[in-house]
Amino acid sequence: MDTRTEPEARPASTNGGAATGSLVIAIAGSGGDGVALLGDLLLSMAAHQGLYGMLVQSYGPQIRGGESAVVLRLSDTEVAYEGDQTDVLLCFRVSDLRRFRGTLQLHDDSLFVLEETDADATPDWLGLPKREPLRWPFATFEDGVEVAGEPKNMMGLAILCRALDWKPALAERALQERFGHRPAVLERNLVTFRKAYEAAENRLEPFARIPGHGVPLVVETGNEAVARGAMAAGLKFFAGYPITPSSEVMETLIDEFHTVGGTLVQAEDEMAALGMVIGASFGGVPSMTATSGPGLSLMTEMMGLSSMAEIPAVIVDCQRAGPATGMPSRTEQADLFHAVYGGHGDFPRVALGVFDVVHARDVMFRAFELAENYQLPVVVLSDAYLAQRRQIRDAVVDRREVPRRWRWTPEHAPTRFKLTDAQPTTPFHVPGTAGGTYLAAGIEHTEKGHPSADATVHQQMSERRFRKLPAIAIDTKDWFRTLGRDNARRGIVAWGSTWGMLREWIASHPDWRVFMPEILHPFPLESFEAWRRDLEDCAVVELSYQGQFHHYLSSLTDMSRVRSLARSGGLPLSSRELTTMLAGPAGGTKEHA
Amino acid sequence: MKPKEYRTELEPVWCTGCGDYGVLKGLTQALADLEIPPEKLAVISGIGCSSRLPGYVKAYSFNSIHGRALPIASGLQISRPEMTTVVVGGDGDGFSIGLGHIPHTIRRDVNLTYAVMDNGIYGLTKGQASPTTEMEAKRTRGLAGGNEEPLNPVLLVLSSGAGFVARTHAGNMPHLRAMFREAIRYPGFAFLHVLAGCVTYQPRGYADGLLQRSYFLPEDRDAGDLEAAMRLAREDRFPLGVIYRRPPAPRPEPVAASTEADVWSRGDAVESKQDLPSE
Repeated sequence: MDTRTEPEARPASTNGGAATGSLVIAIAGSGGDGVALLGDLLLSMAAHQGLYGMLVQSYGPQIRGGESAVVLRLSDTEVAYEGDQTDVLLCFRVSDLRRFRGTLQLHDDSLFVLEETDADATPDWLGLPKREPLRWPFATFEDGVEVAGEPKNMMGLAILCRALDWKPALAERALQERFGHRPAVLERNLVTFRKAYEAAENRLEPFARIPGHGVPLVVETGNEAVARGAMAAGLKFFAGYPITPSSEVMETLIDEFHTVGGTLVQAEDEMAALGMVIGASFGGVPSMTATSGPGLSLMTEMMGLSSMAEIPAVIVDCQRAGPATGMPSRTEQADLFHAVYGGHGDFPRVALGVFDVVHARDVMFRAFELAENYQLPVVVLSDAYLAQRRQIRDAVVDRREVPRRWRWTPEHAPTRFKLTDAQPTTPFHVPGTAGGTYLAAGIEHTEKGHPSADATVHQQMSERRFRKLPAIAIDTKDWFRTLGRDNARRGIVAWGSTWGMLREWIASHPDWRVFMPEILHPFPLESFEAWRRDLEDCAVVELSYQGQFHHYLSSLTDMSRVRSLARSGGLPLSSRELTTMLAGPAGGTKEHA
Repeated sequence: MKPKEYRTELEPVWCTGCGDYGVLKGLTQALADLEIPPEKLAVISGIGCSSRLPGYVKAYSFNSIHGRALPIASGLQISRPEMTTVVVGGDGDGFSIGLGHIPHTIRRDVNLTYAVMDNGIYGLTKGQASPTTEMEAKRTRGLAGGNEEPLNPVLLVLSSGAGFVARTHAGNMPHLRAMFREAIRYPGFAFLHVLAGCVTYQPRGYADGLLQRSYFLPEDRDAGDLEAAMRLAREDRFPLGVIYRRPPAPRPEPVAASTEADVWSRGDAVESKQDLPSE
């Protein structure tokens, strides 16, 4: 199967060019070129004028100092996909491009800006635009050797301002905001910017201006949205262990948690992180941890404890690619089995999927709602693609009431784990409440919490714990989104961050419609069955070598006539790739080894 | 409340003559001495024979999973600092599978008491060597790890920076009671090493042997000398009493992480262990 690392030949027509109210800018360079800063500046300048967009970063294998690239998409409507063609490529060193095969793709009208003296041949896969490239003297040389000179990224900023038809004041304001506390740096950057802005006049044809609506917007990463969404949902305790690509959830909370009176601990490992979360939540405090695949593996025993002792816990898993260490900075959708099935013994849990930065906030609210209401672990599946992207979004004020745990008072029945058919949970005994002392236990226990090795007790208590799932399924039967026309005859089932691409892809593919669950477990099965009833062709599209989502759905319903279009992660699915995948052999399920 | 009133209706499953009975008794006596209301008390454990203890104490108790009592207790104590938190467990739970959590809990100086009932054996899994089993015992009894040195728990916690370290013996009730009292009253991480026997998997007379190797530290001794404490920890004999006590660091007024203060009355909460009635 084709993947984005083996792209198709360059198509003749452009897709996502300036004419459609959207522009894709890629910037590539090495450590020290200030590529990431330039991307951030452009994005904040866009947000300031009410333009939407997003930015994804790509690094070489080195932690610092290696080649890096940002892909930035600007648009007059909200976007959660960076596009699959590059309208502008700014490249400080052609040799740096080598690593970004599959990420960058030029078309006929692309603007290619490169170092004046760079004689390296551009890679074939990149494609060459018909438009004459702009060669610019970014680098400073002494005796034929490149030395540190004027900031290249400021020259880039000036060229891009010209290309985008943006006023210099916009850039100066952004620089002031960024470097206002370091006047010398600010001045140096401003001097270079102004000089290059003058020099760039008449050297390139600006793209058609994409107008913003003028109301400043918010730039946020997926990890920031997760942290802020959790705070809005009542989070008061966080424990976590640093891991790519989720660390910024903790870092955001370190900076902002005080605004809601929260407490944070950086734990010694992931077992301790979820342990502390369970301990705090045992104390009645809404609690959460965030991690990535390896951390989720270490947390698995604790997840069972949370479910067994019926203590709410929210676990954010920013999925990365591969088992063991895998590819930490790359995305994948292959922690689904782990979230749904991981752990020894039978225990209920919930798994939610995040679509994009805007959705993340909403998902966090729902995660706390389910965890607090049903007293069980809720895994929120984010991924590297959305966790670390910066996305421009509308400012929101969340007015929803924070979920409140059902608390035990002396008027309630005295037993913590009472067997009852009346409701799926019983009131939570919060420490500090007189008369409510009990034993919480990871060991099987009776209604009173007393340890038990009785087979009947185990059966009854499993029934008690699992009664939560059908109740949750009723609450969440509408937790899905569809795209496309209701009468389209072909369907795609996908989950998570594939959302952003599909939302755009569907506009040019009227034969198709899309079903995307927001809750993966328990799955909104009835809604899914109703949605797919009259389809002629259906495919599950996912970033998992094994096709975990297709397998999972097969365990719930008949999927024998549904195609599995699955590949391992690394790079997210592009719209061009999806079209190619769908055009493949019709009918039947791809068999996996 | 009387010590007996801190007991739940559950009957311990321990073997007749197990040292854990003494620890349960000493703990409930200390709780009665300190007049800690059960609803302000949390007793937390991992897994093991001694980790069954929380079920027998009237408190918000938690019998969690093997080796993870300290993180769970830390999460509770850090977010609900007005609670009095006691962690109990065995040498396998604490010094083998859960060892990684000890220095970090100490670094955070979490205000809790960690009492380890050290019987030098895995009892619940029927007699395997623990990290504190003597080499000679492992060799003569054919246990695994005959060439592995046992770990020195007191030296470990001292070198990790614990502010309160004491040792007692499960067979000496008045001493156990006094040491629990001291440890619980200490505002910060307090470690209590409880020498205990195992009537089933240790040889007859093992607990008495520990007692014979023990001696009492003078009560009027200055426990603030870390060097002296380290020397005591390295002795072949077992000094009983407060081995080290650093003047406690000032702690902020406890403020719970939850905003839902209406549920438990903050006003009458025990504000910190320092404010508990003295003996």
